[in-house]
Amino acid sequence: MALLSLKGASAAYNGVRVVRDITLEVAAGEKVSLIGASGAGKSTLLGMLYNQQPERIALVPQDPALVRSLSVFHNAYIGGLERHPAWYNLLNLAWPLPREVRDVRTVLESLGLEDKLWAPAGELSGGQQQRTAVARALFRRVDTLLADEPVSAVDPAQADTVLRLLVESHETVVLAMHDVSLALRHTHRLIGLRDGRIAMDRPSAGLDPADLVAFYEG
Amino acid sequence: MSSRRAPATRTTLAFVLVAGLCLLAADLQIITLSPWDELGRMLWGVVSPNFREPLRLADALLQTLTFAFAGISLAVMMGFPLALCFRWAPVRIYCAFVRAIHELFWGLLFLQAVGLNPWCGVLAIAIPFSGVLAKVYAEILEEADLRPLQSLPHGAGHVEAFFFVRLPDVWHHLKHYSGYRLECALRSSTILGFIGFPTLGFHLHTAFLEGHYADVSALLILFYLLIASLRFWVRPRLVPIYALAAWVMLPAGTAFSLHNVTRFLTRDIIPAPVRGSLHDGPEALAEHLPQLAEWGQRMVMDQALPGAITTLLLSQITLITTGALALVLFPWISRIFVRGYLLELGRLAVIVMRSTPEYVLAFTFLLLWGPSWLPAIAALTIHNGAIIAHLIARHADTMALRPDAPRGLNRYAFEVVPRLYGQFLAFLFYRWEMILRETAILGILGIHTLGFHIDSALAGDRQDRVMLLILLTALLNIAVDAFSRRLRARLRLRTTAKAV
Amino acid sequence: MRTPHLWLFTAVALLVAFSAYGKPFTFTAIPDQNESRLRERFDKVANYLAERLEVEVRYIPVKSYAASVTAFKNNEVQLAWFGGLSGVQARAAVPGARAIAQGDEDQLFITYFLAHDSTGLSESGQFPQGISGRSFIFGSKGSTSGRLMPEFFIRQHLGGAPETVFSRVGYSGSHSRTIALVQAGAYEVGAVNYKVWETELAEGKIDAQHVRMIWRTPPYPDYNWTLQGDLDETWGAGFEARVTAALLEMDDPDLLAAFPRAKFVPAKNEDYASIKEIAQIIGLMD
Repeated sequence: MALLSLKGASAAYNGVRVVRDITLEVAAGEKVSLIGASGAGKSTLLGMLYNQQPERIALVPQDPALVRSLSVFHNAYIGGLERHPAWYNLLNLAWPLPREVRDVRTVLESLGLEDKLWAPAGELSGGQQQRTAVARALFRRVDTLLADEPVSAVDPAQADTVLRLLVESHETVVLAMHDVSLALRHTHRLIGLRDGRIAMDRPSAGLDPADLVAFYEG
Repeated sequence: MSSRRAPATRTTLAFVLVAGLCLLAADLQIITLSPWDELGRMLWGVVSPNFREPLRLADALLQTLTFAFAGISLAVMMGFPLALCFRWAPVRIYCAFVRAIHELFWGLLFLQAVGLNPWCGVLAIAIPFSGVLAKVYAEILEEADLRPLQSLPHGAGHVEAFFFVRLPDVWHHLKHYSGYRLECALRSSTILGFIGFPTLGFHLHTAFLEGHYADVSALLILFYLLIASLRFWVRPRLVPIYALAAWVMLPAGTAFSLHNVTRFLTRDIIPAPVRGSLHDGPEALAEHLPQLAEWGQRMVMDQALPGAITTLLLSQITLITTGALALVLFPWISRIFVRGYLLELGRLAVIVMRSTPEYVLAFTFLLLWGPSWLPAIAALTIHNGAIIAHLIARHADTMALRPDAPRGLNRYAFEVVPRLYGQFLAFLFYRWEMILRETAILGILGIHTLGFHIDSALAGDRQDRVMLLILLTALLNIAVDAFSRRLRARLRLRTTAKAV
Repeated sequence: MRTPHLWLFTAVALLVAFSAYGKPFTFTAIPDQNESRLRERFDKVANYLAERLEVEVRYIPVKSYAASVTAFKNNEVQLAWFGGLSGVQARAAVPGARAIAQGDEDQLFITYFLAHDSTGLSESGQFPQGISGRSFIFGSKGSTSGRLMPEFFIRQHLGGAPETVFSRVGYSGSHSRTIALVQAGAYEVGAVNYKVWETELAEGKIDAQHVRMIWRTPPYPDYNWTLQGDLDETWGAGFEARVTAALLEMDDPDLLAAFPRAKFVPAKNEDYASIKEIAQIIGLMD
C-alpha cells in the first residue's frame, strides 16, 4: 500500500496553476528524487505530499527558517518538541537538560556541527544553517523524510555525507534535488517535472547524468 | 553556563534584578477599607453610559479627530525631512530634545506663552511627534535592503537611488508606523483635553473629577470605538483628505499676542531671584547671583534630585511588569495563535486596556488598594503593556512559519518569542521613556515624581520652576534614551545579521 | 459619504469665521465644582452681563486653577471668578488688576476636615490632633479651601509640613474626588470646600456611615471677581464701574446658583492680604 499518494492533484498560486493533474504513489521504503528546472513545481509537489501526513513526516524546507536568536541546540531540539509535554520543553528552553544535550550533540556530531552547539543560529553561515535544519529533521525521529534541496548551500564534500545520513536515517525519503548526480547516487527512483506535470518517472539504476541534461534545458 | 544564554536573555535578567532591588525601596502597602460604594457607582456608570447629549459628544469627537489629524500631518511633514538628515548630530539632538518632553507639557508651555489657541494643541502634538517620527523613519530607512543599490545602473544619482531602491523597500514599514502614530496622536489629542483643548479629554476629565461615571463611560466607549474602527476607515488614500479637512475645521482661536510670548520668555521663565534685576545690567545681576545659586541648589536638592530618583525607581519596576504583561497578552491578539471571535474579543480587550487614560486606571486602583506605588505600577503597566502587546502582535502576524512549526505553548516559546524578543526589547525600551514621562499623573497618589513637582510649580504659577524641571526631565529622558540605544545596538550586534 | 462631510466642514468653517469676527468681552471661572454644568450656567451669566454692559460677552471655559490664572495673565479674559489663592496669583502677575466683588459667603469661607469612620475620629470644636500620622488628601494643589488654608491650619496645629506630619499626602484634583477617596477609605483624612460637602450631602451622595465631617476651620476670605486694570481705556470710560455694578446687582437666584452664592458684595485687593501672606509662608508664592 502506498504511503503517500496523489491522484489527479493540482495546485495554484494566485490563480496560476503551478502543478497540474499529478498522479503519484510513494510506497514505504522508497527513496525518491524530484528533479526539474526551477519553477517546474518541485517544492509545491513536496508541500502537497507533506500535507498528507504532516504528523509522521520530518521536513527540511528550502528556506531553513531557523529561529535566529536561539542556539543550534534549541533549533535542533524543536524537532523533538512533540515527544514531550510543554513544561518539559519550557524547562529545556531555559535550562537544557544533559540528556537532551547529549542526544542533540550526537546528531550534530554526525553533521560536523558539534562545535556550534551553543551558537545562535543567526550567526551561522548558510551551509551551517542548512545543516542545523537537517539536524532538526533528524531529531524528529520519524520514518519519513521530505526535503527540499537539503544540501544546496553545503559544500560538495559534505553534501554527500549529509545526504547519505538523511537517506539512511529514514525509511522513506522524497527529495527535491537540483544536483542530478547526487540524486542518482542516493535515491532509487527519479521523478522529472516539467511545467507542473510529471514528465518522467523511472528507476535511477542505469541512468547517466548526461541523459538528464535535456530535462533541464526544458 | 553563561555562554548558553543569549545577550538578550542576560539583559533581561539584569533588568529584572534591578527592578527587584527597586522593589525594596517601593511602598507597596495595601489599604482597603470601603471602596465598594464608589466602585459600585463606577460599575453602574459602565453599564449605563449616558449618550443623551449626542451633539456634545459628536463635537468632542470631531475636535479630537481634528487636533489629531492636524497634529500628525504636521509632524509627518516636519519629521520626514528631519529623518533624511538624521545622521547630522544637531538634528539628532534636536529630535531627542523635542520628544523628551511630553505632549501635555508642550501644551502647557504653549498655553502659557500663546494662550488657548488651537495652534497650541496642534503644535503640542506635532513637535514631539516629529521628533519620534524622524528617529523611527531614519531607523527604518537605514534598515532598507541595500543590495538592489549595487545593481542600479552606473550614473543613477542619489535621488533616483532613494526613490527607486530605498523608499520602495521600506514604504510599507513607514506607512505601518505612521498609522500607529496616528493612533497615538488620537490618544494625545484626547489627553490634551485635560488642559483645556475642546477634545474628548476635556469632558472626560470633568466627568471623572465630578464622579459622573455614566458620562465617563459614554466618552470612553466612544474613544474605544474610534480606535477600534481606525483600520476600517483610515486608508492611505483617504488620509490626505482627512488631514486637509482637519486643517479646515481647526477652530479659530484668540489672536496671537507677541506681548504674551515676550513676557513668557523674558520674565515668567527667568528664575525668581534674578527676575527683577535681569534688565538692570550686569552689576545688578551679579548682586543677585548668590540667591540664584541658592534657588538652583534648593530646586535640585528638594525637588529635581529626589523627584528623579523616585521617577527612576518607579519606572524600573514598571518596565518589568509592563514587559511581562505584554508577553502574556500578545498571543491573544495575534493571528498565529488565535482566530475568529476570540481574536476580535482579545483585540477589543487590549484596546480598552491601552486607551483608558492612566489617570482613570490609577484612581480605580487607588480606591481598591489605597495610596501606595501599587496603583501607579498597575495603571502604567496595563496601559503600556497593552500598547507593547499590540505592537508585537502585529509583528508576529507578519511572521512566516514553517509548515511543520510547533503549535500552542511550544510555538509561543520556541518559535515566536525568540524571534520577536529583540523587537520586543526595542519596543520596551522606547516605552521606558514614555513611562518616565507618564509618572506626571501620579499626584493623586502622593508619589513625588518629577511630574508631581512640575504640576506643583504650575499650580503655583511659577513658570521658572516649571521650565527648569521640564528641562531636567528632558535631560533624564535623553539619558535613558541614549542608554537604551546603546543597549539595543549591542544586542543587535550579536543576535542578528538581518533579523525578523 | 463624502459629500455630506464636505457640507458639514463648510458649515463649521463659516460658523467659525463669523464667530471670530469682532472682539467680545470675555470672562472665565475656576472649575471648582459642578464643572460639567459650568458652561451652561456661565453662559447665562454671560447673557446677563451682555445685557447690562451692552457689549458681546463670552464665557471661556478652562480646566484648572492654573489655567484660569494663565488666561487672565495673557489677557484672554478681562474678568475672572477666582479662588482666594488664584486671585492673589493673578493680581500679582498682572499690574493694575483688582478684586472688585466677592460672594457674601466668601468673606467668611471655611474648610471642612473629613475622616473615614475607621479612624474613630468625630466632630469636635478643637483641631483634631488625632489626624497626625494618618494619610491625608487635599483637593487641587491650587485650591484655597482644598489646599492652602487646610495646610496652613495643619502647620499651625501640628507644627510641620503635611509631608512630615502625615504618613501619606495626596492631591485629588477636585473636592468631589476628595470626598469619594475619604469615603472609600483610600485616604483616612481629607480637606474639602464646605460648599461642595453641603451640596453633595443634600444630593444624597454621601454615606454618613463611612465618612464624617470632623472639624470646621476658622473663617477666611475666599472667592472673588477680579478685573484687568486698563479696561476704561479700551472699553470706554466708566466701563469698570459698570462691570462692578452689574456683578453687585445680580439678584436672579438662577444666575447666582452658578457660583453658588446668595449675592455679591464689594471686595478689594487688601481683603486678600492674609491669603497672600499665608501662600508665602507655606512657600506657594515667592
